[in-house]
Amino acid sequence: MSEYWFIRSGFEKRAESFFQKKLAEAFACDYEIGKQDFVNAGKAAAAIKFSLKRIGVNAEILRRVAIIAYEAEINITAHANGGKIRSNIHPDLIHIVFEDYGPGMEDIEKSMLPGYSTANDLVREMGFGAGLGLPNIKKNTDVLHIISEKGKNTFLEVVVFF
Amino acid sequence: MKKEKKYFHAIKIVEENCTGCTRCVRVCPTEALRVRNEVVILDDSRCIDCGRCVAACPYDAIQTFADNLSIIEQKKYKVAIVSTAYAGQFPENIGYKTALKALLHIGFDEVAEESMVTEIMGKMIREYLRKNPQTRPVLSSNCPSVVRLIQVRFPSLLSHIYLNEAPMSVLAMYLRKKIAVEKKISENDIGIYLIVPCVAQVTAVHQPEGTYRHLQDGAIPIRDVYQKVMSKMEEIAKDKNDIKVYPKGLSWALSGMEAEEINDGTIKTLAVSGIDNVIKILAKLENGQLEKYDFIVLNSCENGCVGGVLNIEHPSIAASRIRRILRTEKSDKVDDKFFMEMYRKGNFKVRSLEPRPIMQLADDIKVALEKMSKIREITGQLPGLDCSACGSPTCKALAEDIVAGKADIKDCVVLLKREKVKK
Repeated sequence: MSEYWFIRSGFEKRAESFFQKKLAEAFACDYEIGKQDFVNAGKAAAAIKFSLKRIGVNAEILRRVAIIAYEAEINITAHANGGKIRSNIHPDLIHIVFEDYGPGMEDIEKSMLPGYSTANDLVREMGFGAGLGLPNIKKNTDVLHIISEKGKNTFLEVVVFF
Repeated sequence: MKKEKKYFHAIKIVEENCTGCTRCVRVCPTEALRVRNEVVILDDSRCIDCGRCVAACPYDAIQTFADNLSIIEQKKYKVAIVSTAYAGQFPENIGYKTALKALLHIGFDEVAEESMVTEIMGKMIREYLRKNPQTRPVLSSNCPSVVRLIQVRFPSLLSHIYLNEAPMSVLAMYLRKKIAVEKKISENDIGIYLIVPCVAQVTAVHQPEGTYRHLQDGAIPIRDVYQKVMSKMEEIAKDKNDIKVYPKGLSWALSGMEAEEINDGTIKTLAVSGIDNVIKILAKLENGQLEKYDFIVLNSCENGCVGGVLNIEHPSIAASRIRRILRTEKSDKVDDKFFMEMYRKGNFKVRSLEPRPIMQLADDIKVALEKMSKIREITGQLPGLDCSACGSPTCKALAEDIVAGKADIKDCVVLLKREKVKK
């Protein structure tokens, strides 16, 4: 099993207190993602984005969450055997958990490198698989936590503070 | 109850004609319309002047408001600026020059075409793209409806909007200065009127976004001018005066061709028309999916400005006629020196636009989250048919209206009927 942590500098304290407190759910939504279901890909991200507009987060945060949610949803659609997304909006942050149904990553550190991709031809034909998904998520999030193992579900969670 | 009117809109509701049918409610892209007590009401802060409701209403209950041709009498020297869509309205036996000259016979002293500056606009846009390499893609700003859509539904994309005046405004600024000098008259005595294809252009003249002042003195619908022009055909046949014309720039009336014109081989452009398509593309852009494009031309109406509700001819026919004119008619040369000088001096710059968020449920995030939970709960109780019989566009919109205290769950006729059947 390998694990990856990234916390944007300056957010260590807020991140620590978030993971210690285990806040009660504020506004939670669940989405199911089908394997290579490119027709519906992006719908969960759109719903998350819509919720954020409803609570009036600023444009920059909206943009960042939109990119994270979309990239991660496409990752599950394109590379995994489907998966599920749970978004949890709190008054001061959004916490999104992406869990796929395998096949797991061999090397997370490698997957974090821009341009690295294991995508097959179909995925590339669809215009995905450029190897920018995870780097893009990292660029836009405040906290990124990944747990993965070859042959198992991959667990990816992000936190963006408002 | 007296409503506060913050925004001007070029549409008016004629209550006595309204049957409460909800056709308009269902087509509104910003959910600005509701039917309450069998009459339609418009939320001023949501409306983006796309004109879809006008086209959807079979009872003439949503009418357009625009200036009457008689207003041109208020000024000494009267100039008409015609939208590129104008050329597509006339049958082929009426030449392009004739259609323009006709305006001089219905009261105008001078006629200018939007198409005269479109080529120059392309040049300015390319220069803007070079000077702002950090902003990609840049979004066209000449469709006022699209600009308002971004303000209300996609405020995070405001920084992508091309921040210079639209062609007809650029032309109005130039003409006012030029005519004042040439004719030795005060700028105030010059009346500049746009001959427009859509509701949004009328609103833009009366309540400009981002600009510091009103640049034009009125906006007159193409369809109002059309009838007057057609009645003068015999008179015009005898008029042997020649005028300069610039049909080359008419391509801007057609969304796809406008994008082609701007692309000089170095720019990646995308053309999108029809408000539903525009919404989908803006959502993709929000996800960071379209950064490979340099410039996106966005038009609220299908096919571009030829699709505006104030035109006479069907958009496809108008588009075909414009393509024919583009192939056959010769353009006079435009001297772009003055325009580019004005552009480089910053005369055409506009302020960056303020968001007009309509989506936010409350100022306090906690309150907004509570409302979201309530909306979700009520949406679950509703039948999900989106029939609009309650007067709200969808079940979800009704749930929002209930939470906002503007409707009641008893407004749902489907639930009411189901209860009756149970009893």
